[in-house]
Amino acid sequence: MENSKLKQELVKLLGKDKVLTEELDLMYYSYDSSFLTKLEPVQPNAVVFPKSTEDVQKVVEFAYEHQVNIVPRGAGTGETGGCIAVQGGIVLDLSTWNEIIEIDVKNMQVIVSPGVIHAELNNELAKHNLFFPPDPGSSLMCTVGGMVANNASGLRAVKYWATEPYILGLEVVMPNGDVIVTGGMKARCIKNVSGINLTKLMVGSEGILGIVTRIRLRCFPKPKARGIAMAVFDNLDDAPEAVMDVYQAGILPSGIEILDSSAIKAVNDFKPEIKLPDAEAILLFEVDGNPPSVEYEGNVIREVTGRRARTVEWATEPKRMAELWEGRSVTAAASARVRPDGSRIFAGEDISVPISRVADTLRALRDLADQHGIQIVNYGHIGDGNVHTAPVINPEIPEEVEKVIKFVDEVHLLAIEMNGSTTGEHGVGAVRRPYAELEHGKAVDYMRKIKEAFDPAGIMNPGKVF
Amino acid sequence: MEFKKLPPVKEQLMKCVRCGKCRSVCPVFAEVGIETTAPRGHVFMVQMLRDGKVEPTNEVYERLGQCLLCETCSVNCPSGIDVHELNAAARSYIYENNPSAGKELLFDTLWTRPGMLRSSARVMSTVQRLGLQTLARKTGLTKILPGDLKEAEQMMDNIPSKSARSTLPEINPARGEKKYKLGYFLGCGTDLFSPSAATAAVDVLTRNGCEVIIPKDMKCCGLPHIANGKMETAQKLAAHNIKVFNAYDFDYIITDCASCSSALSRNNMEFLLAGLKIEDEALALSEKVMDLTVFLIDVLDLKIPVNKTAPKLRVTYHDPCHLANAQLIKNQPRELLSRIPGVELIEMKAANTCCGGSGTYSTTHYEMSMKILDKKMDHAMATGADILATCCPSCMMQLNYGCKRNNWEAEVLHPVELLSRYYRNN
Repeated sequence: MENSKLKQELVKLLGKDKVLTEELDLMYYSYDSSFLTKLEPVQPNAVVFPKSTEDVQKVVEFAYEHQVNIVPRGAGTGETGGCIAVQGGIVLDLSTWNEIIEIDVKNMQVIVSPGVIHAELNNELAKHNLFFPPDPGSSLMCTVGGMVANNASGLRAVKYWATEPYILGLEVVMPNGDVIVTGGMKARCIKNVSGINLTKLMVGSEGILGIVTRIRLRCFPKPKARGIAMAVFDNLDDAPEAVMDVYQAGILPSGIEILDSSAIKAVNDFKPEIKLPDAEAILLFEVDGNPPSVEYEGNVIREVTGRRARTVEWATEPKRMAELWEGRSVTAAASARVRPDGSRIFAGEDISVPISRVADTLRALRDLADQHGIQIVNYGHIGDGNVHTAPVINPEIPEEVEKVIKFVDEVHLLAIEMNGSTTGEHGVGAVRRPYAELEHGKAVDYMRKIKEAFDPAGIMNPGKVF
Repeated sequence: MEFKKLPPVKEQLMKCVRCGKCRSVCPVFAEVGIETTAPRGHVFMVQMLRDGKVEPTNEVYERLGQCLLCETCSVNCPSGIDVHELNAAARSYIYENNPSAGKELLFDTLWTRPGMLRSSARVMSTVQRLGLQTLARKTGLTKILPGDLKEAEQMMDNIPSKSARSTLPEINPARGEKKYKLGYFLGCGTDLFSPSAATAAVDVLTRNGCEVIIPKDMKCCGLPHIANGKMETAQKLAAHNIKVFNAYDFDYIITDCASCSSALSRNNMEFLLAGLKIEDEALALSEKVMDLTVFLIDVLDLKIPVNKTAPKLRVTYHDPCHLANAQLIKNQPRELLSRIPGVELIEMKAANTCCGGSGTYSTTHYEMSMKILDKKMDHAMATGADILATCCPSCMMQLNYGCKRNNWEAEVLHPVELLSRYYRNN
């Protein structure tokens, strides 16, 4: 269908205010945070802004009838091209549908539309002494719908894990326009093993099986106290060892983050007031809970990490904790600062390896980077083995681009070789598809069968996952 | 300098990783919520312009023009991108390819000639009863400004009949022992719309041992020109002002206007004058430029005699973007207010969020400007303050209008006006 005709039809369905009608405006939907779209932005044929299940249903039914691809999009903060219409089609920008429909305090759950911003949800939940624990670095801008699509986790996954365990039920518009509710149509329960767990199937399916239009989330009581220990190491190898020491001492922090020397430099350049010390590595341990337990756990962490670390700072003062945690959460983008004429890129940025092999992986990454002549910044969620590698290149120099593409390929292969995964939390999207067979073998065939059963017309976010 | 060779275009475009943090801080995006208004979207579009993927058309300008240039995204960008500079550079590039007679009349003829600008303001002041719309129609102004003047005219319904420069002498001697010789960069906004702030500034400075000189040949700082795609005119204005001010041996060059001090700052001079011969002279000027409140607190460390019977005043402070974002100045205005006896400073929520004024933005994008203003006013009114203080004449005009829109009787003042009042009453 021609673009102009497509847009006319969509305007008829949704009204002018919910459709981008100017060709120039479509360009703004040709990118996310991925290196892929930085190199080659891909413009959709149309963009719509649904504000209800009915809106989504109308668009999907239309797309199904006319065999037009549909691509759901949240805030576009993903790093895999997952929300890009790589094979053309209609992008559904769900970020403007941001409604907290109900906070069910008595049942410890909340119902939201997909466009609600993670940080804003937690601000509202805090008024009821509740919180939604997964904490992606992009909390201020990412949508809960995007978190569901990618099964996002982030900085507190050590204790609280990813998005999936908190999703109690979903309303989904299926690729043929059917609307289903997973987790029980009227359910407000927390435990539920009735039927095949479609909720679990949908979470992390990256928009290839249907469009999530309503999310029932489990909330936890908001911890009353929090503390952050910063351990500073002169030797990189000591950092993973110190993580093991803390676990062995019986402590499960909510988050354990690592920044290597290049990440420390990046953060200090961006936020000098945080004053991170120069070191080979810094570990940030976050503990939360009731005040006496936080104090106890803080003491244990100080003692245990102090055996290997040069210094250990224990912070419970809100301003200092916010600084330290912000320092970590901005590392991703601040990595560009290590090279004045360079930019960090999001590629090969999310490998996950067994905790026991983190040190080996960090060393191997350094070796690979040296071999390819690529500058990298390493940081990540060391407590669960999720290593974020940020290659820093000048993306406008073709030789550097060529080199980094080879480097990134080897990073992904390294992850599989280390008994890990090519992605711990960012997803596959369009960029990690080539590794599906190598990583999953015959299981990919069954993934395809599921996809075909849900989406026989193949219009839902094609070109992603496998 | 050619658009593609400008330092931010050459060095910063590739740094944007589209992380989207700017989506969480942009006041315009907060209202619209779609990617075409996201700062990273503007960066992307500037890149498309540079790479020739889009033509420098008015349609592209219109999209980039939605940005307030409030610099909130720039100051929050983890990759250190000066988004506002990229946007301004692109506007200028597009304007060069699409010149408009109306803009030239306004920004090249009128706004580069202080005398003519003042005369126009006087005319506007006297015909206010007729309404600006009538005047605008008669003078053809409606064809010049892209915004909706019918609505925007309400904002300018109280233009003072006399400009500051028509009442203040060029040389204002220090009272008592002379400590500093100051150049006063009296910007167009303060001169025409807040002359009482200028009078107060001169009063406070001369009382505290400063000789204050207002060079009669100074012109606009050029910020309105940068915002409206007239970089070349802004460069000429900067060159002129550099010559005028560098001819004196001032200890400091003071301004009460956040926009003027940001326009004269090192950052902006480096951007505006990149590659031009006057760059060194510009930096010599920038080193002396200082916001009035910074001078009063950091240099003079002003001690104000205490009168315990001074009336109690509840004051809230709005951070102008060109002070808080462009120059990271937040403490000194608050400190100055706190030192004035009787003042109780009450922080409003989101004090450093833009008021939506942003110079000519309130005229060119009236509806959006009002949405942003209404949020600001909600926060300001929630403080129950008697005085709404800020350090920028453009913000003052916008906030005054916000008070009027909301039937709120708070007075909008520059902190120095409060101080001057205190001096005069004690």
